[in-house]
Amino acid sequence: MPTLQLAEITHANRPAQLPLLSKLADILATSPAVTHLMVRGSLAHGTADRLSDVDFVVGVHDAQLPSFVEALDALMSIEAGALLPGWRDTIVADLGGLGMVFLVPDDGRLHQIDLYLAPASRIPRLRETVSTAVILDRTPTPAATPDIAVAESFAAAFIARPRTCTELLIEHLVLAVLLHKRIKRGQRFVAYSEWHRLHTATKDLIKTALAPASQFWGWYQLREEIAVTPIGRACLGDLDAAISGPAIPEGTDVNAAIERVLALVERACPQALDGLHDAITAYRTYQELV
Amino acid sequence: MDSTLTALAGQIAQLDAVDSAQLERMRHEALTTQAPWKAEYGAYQSGGWWTTSLMNASGDAADVTIGDCAARPTGLLGQMPATAAFLADLGLNFMWVRLARLEGNAFLWEHRDYDELDQVERHRLHIPLHTNSSAFLVTSGTKVHMAGGRIWRLTPTYAHGVCNLLGPARIHLIADVYADDAYRRLARRPALHPAVAEPLPAASQTVLAERLETARNMATLGYTEAAERMLLRLFYTYALPEGTAYDLIAELHTSLGNMEAATRWDTAKRRLLALTA
Repeated sequence: MPTLQLAEITHANRPAQLPLLSKLADILATSPAVTHLMVRGSLAHGTADRLSDVDFVVGVHDAQLPSFVEALDALMSIEAGALLPGWRDTIVADLGGLGMVFLVPDDGRLHQIDLYLAPASRIPRLRETVSTAVILDRTPTPAATPDIAVAESFAAAFIARPRTCTELLIEHLVLAVLLHKRIKRGQRFVAYSEWHRLHTATKDLIKTALAPASQFWGWYQLREEIAVTPIGRACLGDLDAAISGPAIPEGTDVNAAIERVLALVERACPQALDGLHDAITAYRTYQELV
Repeated sequence: MDSTLTALAGQIAQLDAVDSAQLERMRHEALTTQAPWKAEYGAYQSGGWWTTSLMNASGDAADVTIGDCAARPTGLLGQMPATAAFLADLGLNFMWVRLARLEGNAFLWEHRDYDELDQVERHRLHIPLHTNSSAFLVTSGTKVHMAGGRIWRLTPTYAHGVCNLLGPARIHLIADVYADDAYRRLARRPALHPAVAEPLPAASQTVLAERLETARNMATLGYTEAAERMLLRLFYTYALPEGTAYDLIAELHTSLGNMEAATRWDTAKRRLLALTA
């Protein structure tokens, strides 16, 4: 049988995200606080398409988890060029750590970067339950009990902290990127789920801005609490418009939702846009909204 | 024009408008023509600064090290008819013409250009072809976004820096020209519209202390270069006294006990800001 020279074609068909994955891995691995780097999702399993996200599990020394999380937004902005502060991932399963999602421009378009930060002490159990490709393994000596407690209490407090208007705005922007991906792939059920999450984020944004001390759960008593001023009525009008759309959106519906939310933020909590104007302009450019 | 703006207009000024349809054609050419972009790396930049020549001494687009010459068109300009027509219409005495691409998340750090010793009067013109609001120049604590639609003149004798925070890539047509009657006609009414000059806020000692603490946390985690870059980027966020970003980096290293790095950054500050003392 002749020897086929497939290296060139293999290289040409490698996932488009591979250079970005490699760059991010280099950035993260620079710190000795990082004990493990694992790739999960489609890039780990060879099923990636050009829309696939880059999904890392990052093991961090238990005692250093708080300072690592504190530095992460600045690190991702400075070293990776992330457009916005990370979104605290509320979709990812609880594996003993915390998830952050960043939007990083690369090669002219936005990429979704998922980072799941796990205390090193949780990594062995995590590896038993989640399929990953390990690209860095600096297994440390077992963490001391107080260090484990530091990481656990930090992660629990981080997840439990109420979201600010800025964080909820960023949640909309990230979910819109996810939704465009689902629509292009024809993933109708996931699109339905994320579309509902986006509307829920709009509701949460309105409540955070206009009824921060609300005693009511979820979607209850919105009219009684919020539709008592012109701003409140206008915001609930926006929410009504959002939920009156199709159950599964088209791309134009997602874009309209983002523009509606940006107008809502300007009206109800303009301080949430502080420092984000250029990022939102860039977001619109990368998403071809302008 | 107030005195601050007048002083700033000596550094950066708007000259004539560029026809919008012609600008669109030039932008299309700049974004689509295959060009031999050459990376330039230096102590004063983060990476992400690329140039390619349209007019130079050799006619080779890959020759990007500028110097005095009677410029002739490169092969690249031959593939860009709208740009060639624009340059011809200006009727200037070109020394060198380049396309310059500054990628997203790229910075030319705070620096002062050395004044060349020769007596030849030349000027640098920028024609923004593809830009975004996060791409701007900072000088004297003021942020200037060079918007498209104008020819801009840069005469940066003050300490200054340029950035493209978020992208997409910024592409400028940069023409170095010798002063002659055509140039003087073009530059007859330099202006700087107040709306394009945005004063940056001052940074309180508390803010600087917080940023230094964040940098120290990053460096302690092992992200020392990121910590340095975070401090360098303060120049684009706050109106700082000259060299403050470099001083903060030296202070960071001093606090971490790395006196060699502190000295290195002090030396870099003197070199980049052309300080003699």
